[in-house]
Amino acid sequence: MSMKVLSLYKGFMEGGKVIYSPNIMMKIEMLAMILAGGQGTRLGALTKHIAKPAVPFGGRYRIIDFTLSNCTNSGINEVGVVTQYQPLALNSHLGNGSSWGFDGIDSGLTILQPFSSSDGEKWFQGTAHAIYQNIAYIDQVNPEYILVLSGDHIYKMNYEEMLDFHKEKNASLTVAVIEVPINEASRFGIMNTDESSRIIEFEEKPEEPKNNLASMGIYIFNWQRLRTVLINSYSKDGQMIDFGKHVIPSYLDSGENVYAYRFDGYWKDVGTIDSLWEANMEFINIENDLDMRNHNWRIYSKNTISPPHFFTETAVIKNSLIVDGCYIAGEIKDSILSTDVRVKEGSKIEKSVIMPGATIGKNVFIKNAIIGENAVIGDNATVYSEEEISVVGYSEVIGVISNEY
Amino acid sequence: MNTNRVSAIIDNVNCYGDLHDLTAHRPLAMLPFDCKYRLLDFQLSNVINANIQALFLLMNQDDMQSVFDHINGGKEWGLDSLRKKFIMHFNKKNQEGESEQDFVSHVVDYLRKSGSEITVITGSKMLCNIDLKAIIKIHKQNNRSMTVVYKRVTSENISCDNLLIDLESDGNISSNNCKEELEPTEKYNLCMDIFIVRTEWIIEVLENCDKKVESIIKILREKINNISCMNYEYTGYLSNIYDIPSYYRANMDMLQPSKFNSLLYSNQKIYTKLANEVPTYYAENSVANNSHFASGSIVDGTVVDSLISRRCKISEAAVIEQSIIMASANIGKNAYIKNAILDKNVIVDEGVRIIGADTNPVIIKKDSHVTNDIVNRRNV
Repeated sequence: MSMKVLSLYKGFMEGGKVIYSPNIMMKIEMLAMILAGGQGTRLGALTKHIAKPAVPFGGRYRIIDFTLSNCTNSGINEVGVVTQYQPLALNSHLGNGSSWGFDGIDSGLTILQPFSSSDGEKWFQGTAHAIYQNIAYIDQVNPEYILVLSGDHIYKMNYEEMLDFHKEKNASLTVAVIEVPINEASRFGIMNTDESSRIIEFEEKPEEPKNNLASMGIYIFNWQRLRTVLINSYSKDGQMIDFGKHVIPSYLDSGENVYAYRFDGYWKDVGTIDSLWEANMEFINIENDLDMRNHNWRIYSKNTISPPHFFTETAVIKNSLIVDGCYIAGEIKDSILSTDVRVKEGSKIEKSVIMPGATIGKNVFIKNAIIGENAVIGDNATVYSEEEISVVGYSEVIGVISNEY
Repeated sequence: MNTNRVSAIIDNVNCYGDLHDLTAHRPLAMLPFDCKYRLLDFQLSNVINANIQALFLLMNQDDMQSVFDHINGGKEWGLDSLRKKFIMHFNKKNQEGESEQDFVSHVVDYLRKSGSEITVITGSKMLCNIDLKAIIKIHKQNNRSMTVVYKRVTSENISCDNLLIDLESDGNISSNNCKEELEPTEKYNLCMDIFIVRTEWIIEVLENCDKKVESIIKILREKINNISCMNYEYTGYLSNIYDIPSYYRANMDMLQPSKFNSLLYSNQKIYTKLANEVPTYYAENSVANNSHFASGSIVDGTVVDSLISRRCKISEAAVIEQSIIMASANIGKNAYIKNAILDKNVIVDEGVRIIGADTNPVIIKKDSHVTNDIVNRRNV
């Protein structure tokens, strides 16, 4: 019996928990697990009906497209997407993963939703718990390493290089980190490292941060080690709920090799209305650090099947991004119009993001706003507030007199 | 035989019109249209939207490259599904245009295996968005061997290789084709080269035909006078593309919202190859009026009454009017382009003028680099 099979049998018995995995696949090097189940409460009306990773971004994308395309471009063939909160739009966007090339013979995208079993219900209570609940799936893929990602950041990153670093350092866990302004460091999980980038201390949202290396929520684990740690924990008192709060401190306490992998490209958390709006505004600029027009690292998305966009004779357009299916008769300035948006004559849109399928009536004024998918803004309406970013929710109807229907 | 099964043949994709340089590297059906489509997309989408289970795409061997580039496995049209049978056949022709191989027996074989009751045969030059399901339904209710689809058009929509049909009082139709005698104000019944036939009948016809025939459509056109046919009048948008002016006109039609809506916003979608391009960026000083754009472009200049394809760069102070710019063009600063068609990957240097006539646009070949003015204001 080979070593591989032996270790698997060992795994089955650990902690007295028996995990049944049908069809163990050929061993693969690294499996990506995208945690896409978060509610994203800070996005308010935008995530009332859809999960945060499915929120539209940059005209023709959804937030999760960046993470999925990074996987495609990094040569990762197997991806598990953990869903929980309002998964309908997310699931239909993902499909079988063919939009990102995960539909091949030796690749796949699997949607992992909570399920009930003879052990009870398996709602995911935290990031690490979500991995624990999906051990059967991970065992079935049988990877050497797992890459834990979140589906709500805008960035381009080569995970293959991070894996090379992980192997080179002989690490048990590698955490991707990015330098943040020191005055903002107390909002993040901060890694204190030694000269060789080994993490010696982790502080979650420290009041007085010792440095500015923030965790990006991207981890590479040696799977068998993590598996043992999780199963041991849950067979006793079950404290391993969250990677940042529980797993990383536990790894450090037990003297595991934990390394920080520095990333210095564009990275934006779009977890709040302000940051989502800001990231979109930054996205308009063609000299953006994301380097969107670089064909060697494309961001893929689902095909929307819409005709080219159309400007009428009354259209005015300045410093904006427009995609397929739009009809523009109004004035657009410093804004992003997503797929199939209609803007009628006399309307003015400034510094705003209009999400797919929204209809803007005549003589409307919109400034500093995010207009949700399929929203309808009636003639002569104004969406603008001096103090904050205005948000119109999905399919919301504003300023339309009811007898028009 | 399954009475609900319908198979389709898109015939003679190799058919060349009088499009000079634009069709030097591609069959007419692969001509780009309205920024992001190819003419063939419309016939493919018509077939797919009618939920037809089997498709036989017949084309010329020399055109394999461009067709394969675009269609590949047929994923964007759902042709890669388990439920669809999709065959591409590459026909070899001799210099006289006759088939060197016996493609007809391949068609017969395909039709037999399809197990279908009805077969749709369409050409690839007529640009339309047609609901074939409705015509198939009418065909089934009548006991004729063939239904012929036509549209009433004026003479500018008719070329010399088209077929016109006469409707007789008894509902029967007959064909005539003589371009010279056409009155410019009159409307004619243009045969759209879309035929709905009983599969059994077409198998019999093909088995008895001349094996060197260049296309199936030619065989069916000849049958119109000999058998009793149903006719179906199509009332939606149609463009018959056979030369440069008609190609140019069809593209410019898309700038009229009623025609654009009729072709591209009907309840039947038109599918095309996915490009995964970034949104198009319009800079601070850009002007875009009455124009269409695909994604992936950067617009710094002025675009009026034009169609701009994917990945184009229109530099500062460049002006484009009444033109078709195909994919990946790079238009330099202060360039002026009017009444022109720029094929793919064209580079236009700073300040260069390219000017054609209203009905006779200047054609710039694929991959060319324009360094000097090209002005030809002569109409045809």
